[in-house]
Order: sequence, then structure tokens, then C-alpha cells
Amino acid sequence: MNENQGSIRFTDGNIVYPNGTVGMKDLNLEIRPGEFVVIVGSSGAGKSTLLRAINGLNRMTSGTVEVDGTKVPQKDGRELRLLRKRVGMIFQDFRLVKRLTVMSNVLIGRLAHVPGWRAMFNLWPAHDRDVAMKALERVGITEKAWVKASQLSGGQQQRVGIARALAQEPAIILADEPVASLDPVTTHQIMKDLVRINRELGITTLVNLHFLDLAKQYGERIIGLRFGELVYDGSAANVTDEDFRDIYGRDFTEDDVLDEDVIG
Amino acid sequence: MNVAPPKPARNWPLLIGTIAFLVGMTWWSGHGIGFSLTELLCNLAGGQRLLQESWPPDFAFLPRLYGPFLETIYIAIIGTVVGGILAIPVAVLAARNLTLGRVVWFADRNFMNILRTLPDLFWAMMFATAVGFGPVAGALALSVFTIAVISKLWSESLEAIDMGMPEAVRAAGGTWLQMIQFGAIPQGLQHYVSYALYAFELNVRASMVLGLVGAGGIGMILETQRANFEYERVTMIILAVLVAVLLIEQLSESIRKRLA
Repeated sequence: MNENQGSIRFTDGNIVYPNGTVGMKDLNLEIRPGEFVVIVGSSGAGKSTLLRAINGLNRMTSGTVEVDGTKVPQKDGRELRLLRKRVGMIFQDFRLVKRLTVMSNVLIGRLAHVPGWRAMFNLWPAHDRDVAMKALERVGITEKAWVKASQLSGGQQQRVGIARALAQEPAIILADEPVASLDPVTTHQIMKDLVRINRELGITTLVNLHFLDLAKQYGERIIGLRFGELVYDGSAANVTDEDFRDIYGRDFTEDDVLDEDVIG
Repeated sequence: MNVAPPKPARNWPLLIGTIAFLVGMTWWSGHGIGFSLTELLCNLAGGQRLLQESWPPDFAFLPRLYGPFLETIYIAIIGTVVGGILAIPVAVLAARNLTLGRVVWFADRNFMNILRTLPDLFWAMMFATAVGFGPVAGALALSVFTIAVISKLWSESLEAIDMGMPEAVRAAGGTWLQMIQFGAIPQGLQHYVSYALYAFELNVRASMVLGLVGAGGIGMILETQRANFEYERVTMIILAVLVAVLLIEQLSESIRKRLA
């Protein structure tokens, strides 16, 4: 699905927060449909800012961001909702409604696809239930469909988060530190899921990571940010320790890697 | 050198000043309303007579309380349900993190404050004038009262919710209404139920008082019996009300505890 869709282009993008913090500085960046991009940088480097600009959760101070050639609207309204419909997001803290079932959570990804009154009275069309179930299938937790989200482990909750994004049938998936609250084993499973989904469905995928080894292991293309500026853009295969040093502005330590045996 | 500092000396001027101020204020107020201890003592005999006439309670009167009692409960239920539903939009729009802009927030906030400032008895008299004396006026008055109670409490707990979930709904392309329904309200639901039960407790109590101004229920029969000097029946009514209120509070509290 979504062939030749899911391109992103930043042109002279700047974001300055009300408190003066610079979140994005003169960003020019182009991402092609179907790419798997990992964004690295120390905390506060502007990784989340970049992702959240793409679906309009953060507004541009100047410059533009386009998705498939259309500018991301900078104010709330129908146009922005239509864009967000095509962009799924995955969060570090999962952001599930814990009191609701897994299925209800995944159906939130269908909100923009059905008439408002249907969602309001929980009268989801069969097609949309089907899409939600297929999304759960893709992350391998169909058996948990009717369980309350609060009863799942962290890794399972993040899978539901992915399923919710998939239920949108998106052209782009934005994953903001998707594994930062997970243990190493689960981390690798979730990263593999994301890569697999990217390959199978051709959804453009942007993942924020702060672990260097994960970035190298799973990234196709790596983008490095420092103080909101693009300081590295290249293939994951060619990235060197030197490059990472440039991105982080310091020698990296074992805090920066997930599996200690990778370093040194 | 870890010696505790010496205990600070008591601030005598402040203490004496405070006591003098309180005594002065009380005397001034008592003087203002013409309170006199000697008169009170002389009139105690009247109070004693009243107590004697009020005892024992007239148990034969109990069956006749059944109808008015039920009416009181009806009033409380309607008030809680109608008010509870109407309180939802009022509370959401009064929560700073969920509202639709500053103007709406400000207007709703003030609307809420006006409802809360005017007492339930005032509303009962207003509605009694508008729709006539009786339980309907009482139910309407309590609906307004319930909106005031629930919206105030709930808007504050809605302001404390985790905004991550609403943002996730937004990010998926949901509308404002969907953000509220799927992102915000599920987080505040527990509090809502708890406040609604609390409002029901208040309403049962209030609907007894409302009867005094002709808004139906047990309060109306209480007022008639008092006016006819049937103090033994008055005692009976008060006892019955006491038991009922305690029972309802116990029930509601046990449900609320289970929710927490």
C-alpha cells in the first residue's frame, strides 16, 4: 500500500520554544518514501522536536515541513487532522488508555477514518475492526485483543502502541524513543518489529534513539542532531565512532550503548 | 557539634494579642445581634419544655413518612442524574488543559462560579416560582446544585490528568471531541463516579431542606408538623432522616472506597 508516498522535506526549518530553547536550527532534510531513518543525538538535541514537527504537534517558527509535497498545516483544523491520519506515532511511554481493552486502544488509530458519531457510540464498522485486528496480528498479540491494556507488560504495551499506529494505515511512522522504557531483550524485539514492518509495508519510518549501538544495528540511514542542527546524515553502514563523537560532542561511554560487549 | 538549637521563647505578645482579638470580635458580634447571657438563661425553661414535648418520638407516624421519603429520594436521583450529565461539558470546558480557548474557559469558569455562589435554597425558590411548588421544582434546583458541585471538583481532577493520552489521540488525527472522549475522560472516570456519588449524598440531605420552601419531599411534611406543634412527630421525622442519611452515606462511601 501507499506506494510512492511518505516523503518528508524540511526547508530552512527553525523551531524556537517560548522559553528561548532552540529545538531546530536551519534544517534542510529530505526523506524518501519507505526509508528507515534513525535519529540520534544527546537529550535536548532536538530529536523529538523534529519528529513532532512532521505531524504538527510542534509548530515551525520559520521555514516549512512538507509531507508528500504538501505543507504541514501550522494550525489546528481539518487539514491538519487529514495529515495526521496518514502519520502514525509511537511514544516512549506507550500512551495507551490503561482502563480500556487492547482493541479499544488500537481502534483509536481508526478515529480519523470513520464518521464521528460511529466512534462516539462505539459502533465501529466491520472493516475498521478488521484493520485493527490485522494490525494486532502484525505485531503478534491478537490473543490479547480483549485484555485491559493495564494488564500487559511493557513490551506488549509498546506492541499495542505500534498496532495503533498501523491501524491508521499510515504512510509514515514516527517512533519517539520507542524502546527507552524497555529492557534490552524487549528492546531488540521491538526494533526488529519496526524494521520488519518497514520492509513489509514500505511505510517510511523515523525512529529516535539514544543508544548508539542500536542506531548502528537497525538504522538504514542515520541522522545526527546537535543543538537542533543537522550534524550527520549518512548510511548506517559507514558511520564511525568518530562520527558519533561529533554528534555527541564528547567521547561516548557505556551509558550510550545498550549491550556492553559492542563497545571497544 | 550536632546540638539541637534551644527551644525558641514563646511569643507572648502575639499569643495575648490573638486571644484579645478573638474575644473582642466575639463580644462585638454578640453585642451586635443583641445576645444576652441572662436572657438566654431565663429562657432555658422554654427549651426544656420543647424537649419534653418532643419525647418520645411518635412511632405511629412512621408509616406516613414512606411516601414523602420516596419523593425525597426521587428528587435526589433526578437531580444527580440530570445535573451529573450536564456537569460533564461544564467541567471539561473549565479544565485549563482541555478547554477550547481562553474566552470559552473564562466564560465557563464564571458560569460555574455563579452556580456555586447561589445556594440550593435560592434555586428551589426560583424554580418553585417558575414551575410551581412541588417535587419538580426541587429536582430542578438539585440539578443546578449538582452541576455546581461536580463540575467544580471534576474540572480540577481533569486538570491533573496525564496529557500524553490526549496527545496520542490528536496525533492519530482525532478531533477535539474525540480527544476528550478517548484521551481525557477515561482517565477521569473514576473521579467522576466518586463525585457523582458524593453529589447524591449531598442531594439526599439537601432535598430534605428544600421541602421547607415547598419543593416537596420529607422536608415539606417536617415543616407542616412543626407548624402544628406536633413535636413528637418532628422528632420521629428527624430520627428517620438521620438513619436514612447515614445509610446512604455508608453505601456511597463503600462504593467510592472500592473505586479508589
